[in-house]
Amino acid sequence: MAMLFWFGNLFYVAVLLVNAVAVLSEDRFLARIGWAGQQDQGFGGGDVSIKAKLINLISAIRTLMRIPLIMVNVVIIVYELLLG
Amino acid sequence: MAHQRPAFTAASPPLLHHPVPQHPIPHHTMRSPPPLSQTSSGSAYAASPYQQQPGVPMHNQGHGIHPAYGGFLADPAAQIGLQMGASAMRNSREYVKQNMNRYVNYTALKHYFNVSNSYVLNKLRLVIFPWRHRPWTRIPKAVVPGQTDGMFLPPRDDLNSPDMYIPVMAFVTYILLYTMLAGIRGHFHPELLGKLASTAFAIVVLEILGLKFGCYLLNINNESQLLDLVAYSGYKFVGIIATILIQELSSNGWLRFLGFFYFFSSNAFFLLRSLKYVLLPETSTDNPRGTVQAVARAQRNRRTQFLFIYSYVVQFVFMWILTTG
Repeated sequence: MAMLFWFGNLFYVAVLLVNAVAVLSEDRFLARIGWAGQQDQGFGGGDVSIKAKLINLISAIRTLMRIPLIMVNVVIIVYELLLG
Repeated sequence: MAHQRPAFTAASPPLLHHPVPQHPIPHHTMRSPPPLSQTSSGSAYAASPYQQQPGVPMHNQGHGIHPAYGGFLADPAAQIGLQMGASAMRNSREYVKQNMNRYVNYTALKHYFNVSNSYVLNKLRLVIFPWRHRPWTRIPKAVVPGQTDGMFLPPRDDLNSPDMYIPVMAFVTYILLYTMLAGIRGHFHPELLGKLASTAFAIVVLEILGLKFGCYLLNINNESQLLDLVAYSGYKFVGIIATILIQELSSNGWLRFLGFFYFFSSNAFFLLRSLKYVLLPETSTDNPRGTVQAVARAQRNRRTQFLFIYSYVVQFVFMWILTTG
């Protein structure tokens, strides 16, 4: 049981989750269920709902984390190939 | 370089000797002194090229040692190098200090370790038995009597203030106690220390990440609450230590479960009450103008549910993992 929460595993889980968010397709999936990022956010988001927050987060991850994720994934793959 | 020239002239006499026997001697004396006078004062015996040959290395050494040692620090280049090294050290130290201050707020951390004996005892009693405690609000620190700057009194003066001392000590005690019990059973391995520390630390980090994510989703923005959350997530180690001790001392299955359940529920109650001011600020912070009452109430309901889930469900899972190992 203790092996389950090994600190490296937490990192792997985090990277996999961010990967899972990043591969979501904007046109094919997110737009179909109405979760595409709105561009007309405007200011004064006083009463933003959880859904709006989630949509915002997903679009932020998709735009911001794409290139860092590629590098992190490459590092992890090389590490796993060499030492795993 | 000085001995190269005389060596050359020493080789030349046979060439010059051949045509005119008279010339070489004045020629020799004329040519050899200039380089020798530069190198050393002992040109008297150095005038003869044959004697100079063995003498040259000694001269050169004697001459070379003094600048090497005496001139090492006086050399401008070395001075520059020294100064650059010193300034680089100083800069790097300042850089580390600045960045440490940026990432780890020392003054804020010191605030959390400002505890007294009576505070620690009372707080431990509060974590274990939180049912009868009445005021859960923290006392704001008054800069000028009657005015506050958003800070709270340190743990020394306020029982409801979160501290870091008890969580850190409980964390370390948990690791040591668990490994000690494993050692009594004969399962001790040095790796166990690192594994336990890593597991517990990962759980704390996971908990903080979850809490921060929840705060983001629920639009809760409270300044300087990260360290508070770290402190509060560390209080469960007190209950975990007590649970582990009970499980070790008794073999009765019912008693073991009851011990776990009691400490879990007391910790959850403690968290529920203490985190209320973090997650549910009394003053509606969001936007005072034009807030629809129904929206605020719905938001408050959601926050309450989140607080409940965090302090009961999430804590149950983590405490279960940590006590069973």
